[in-house]
Amino acid sequence: MSSARSVVHAKNLKIGYSKKAVLAQIDNLEIQQTEIVSITGESGLGKTTFLKTIANLVKPIEGTLKTFDSAITDVRGRIGYIPQKLGLIKHETVFSNVLAGAICNESIWRSITGFHEEKIIDRVQEAIKQMNLEDKIDESIKRLSGGQQRRVAIARTIAQNPELILADEFLSELDEKTAENVWKTMLDYVHANSITLIIVEHNTGRAQMAERCFKLEKNEKLNCSILKENN
Amino acid sequence: MINWKRQKYSIFLASMAIFTYFVFNDIVDGDWKSLENSLDNLSVFFHESLWPPNWKVIEAQAYPVCERNSDFLCSPAYIGISTTLKIAFVSTCLGFIISLPIAVLSSRNLNNDLIAIPFRYLLAAMRTLPSILWALLFVITVGLGAVSGVLALTFYTVGYLGKLQYEAIEGLASEPLDAARAMGLKKTEIVQRVVIPETGNNLISQLLFMFEYNVRHGSIIGIVGAGGLGYYIPTYLKYFQYDKIMALLIILFFVVVIIDLLSMKARSYFIDDATFKSPSLFENIFRGK
Repeated sequence: MSSARSVVHAKNLKIGYSKKAVLAQIDNLEIQQTEIVSITGESGLGKTTFLKTIANLVKPIEGTLKTFDSAITDVRGRIGYIPQKLGLIKHETVFSNVLAGAICNESIWRSITGFHEEKIIDRVQEAIKQMNLEDKIDESIKRLSGGQQRRVAIARTIAQNPELILADEFLSELDEKTAENVWKTMLDYVHANSITLIIVEHNTGRAQMAERCFKLEKNEKLNCSILKENN
Repeated sequence: MINWKRQKYSIFLASMAIFTYFVFNDIVDGDWKSLENSLDNLSVFFHESLWPPNWKVIEAQAYPVCERNSDFLCSPAYIGISTTLKIAFVSTCLGFIISLPIAVLSSRNLNNDLIAIPFRYLLAAMRTLPSILWALLFVITVGLGAVSGVLALTFYTVGYLGKLQYEAIEGLASEPLDAARAMGLKKTEIVQRVVIPETGNNLISQLLFMFEYNVRHGSIIGIVGAGGLGYYIPTYLKYFQYDKIMALLIILFFVVVIIDLLSMKARSYFIDDATFKSPSLFENIFRGK
């Protein structure tokens, strides 16, 4: 096995949407390759914002955040992000949605003109097959159940072949059995492909299935939340 | 006791009514008597000059020479309406193609304000001039005829449609955009894979609305020489042939009603929560499975 390398490294990080309203403070956090990490905490403490900061969707207010041992520059295809509401294109088919993930692995020219390489199409079909969605391949997202939609979101991430997956409460609104199935599928995939997984999870039971669990807790003195590791 | 909070809408409406009265009073300079005879005048004008309509407008005209073998196909009504429809169709399509990239650049959820705001001003400037003034401008620069009409309505369409489009784009849910950005997709890819598919129904609905709009305005711009139905109106006015104008307006009314109905039916298939909907070939063609 290759020696583990840092995938996320945060130091003295302050996150939020403005300097006057810091949501959370992360003093020191290092997440290694292949680790499965969960972040819990009450609503409004900054879990989603932290995930978005790692995904480079929100700029840090203060401190340093490095992904893949370097400052975030071009991360095309390296980070897979599954938002709480999945972020699927509702008017498009399963195939088109999964293809949106796979195109990260080809040139922009091919992606825009639609002259996809054969391996990209194979990758899309393989990801759809892995999620048992072959019979839904041309179905519109709107017509799928909640569980099927979540499997499409995972298939999109699989087709993307990222090194780091960020999943924001992506099992919410699912019944217990479906949630367990989707969770197991995700775990099998990340284990088999040495991928780092960071999930924001409200369900403490599932959160504790991760290798490392962190919790965002309100700190009255600092007037923001701080990240603590649960041992 | 009156609960003022609960009566806020009534108070607002009453205040607006009073305010409107004072503004109108200012317009008529307090002399309401000038309006007294207007209804009578309208009635006299209607019976003496407008009614009955003169249906000679659906007969062949003497000039310019028409070589079609049907009287109707050479009539001012047919030539005027068909030119208006052609102007509206071409200008709507051209306007759509030009406005979409500008709308993308004007959207604040895709660009920062430094880019978005100048493009918004550009669209606002194009909207500021009414279509008839654009027509006047192009008649002066390009010359009389339908080409000026096409250019005038294209410019107005870009301004108007561009605004509707960037509002639709800004109304997009943030999650699909976030997922695409986190993946590292470039802006062009995000527009192609997320923005257009997610706003597609709205964009087509707006396009159909704009076509209706351009048919109505395409019939007016001819007054300044930009082709279409309005081209005949100044001549009829000049010779006091109001009954012919009445006949043209009645024909235009029915054409607009038919286009409205077809467009409303077509648009209903592109709006998710439309109430006016029934399964048809349209759905099978455009919506897939």
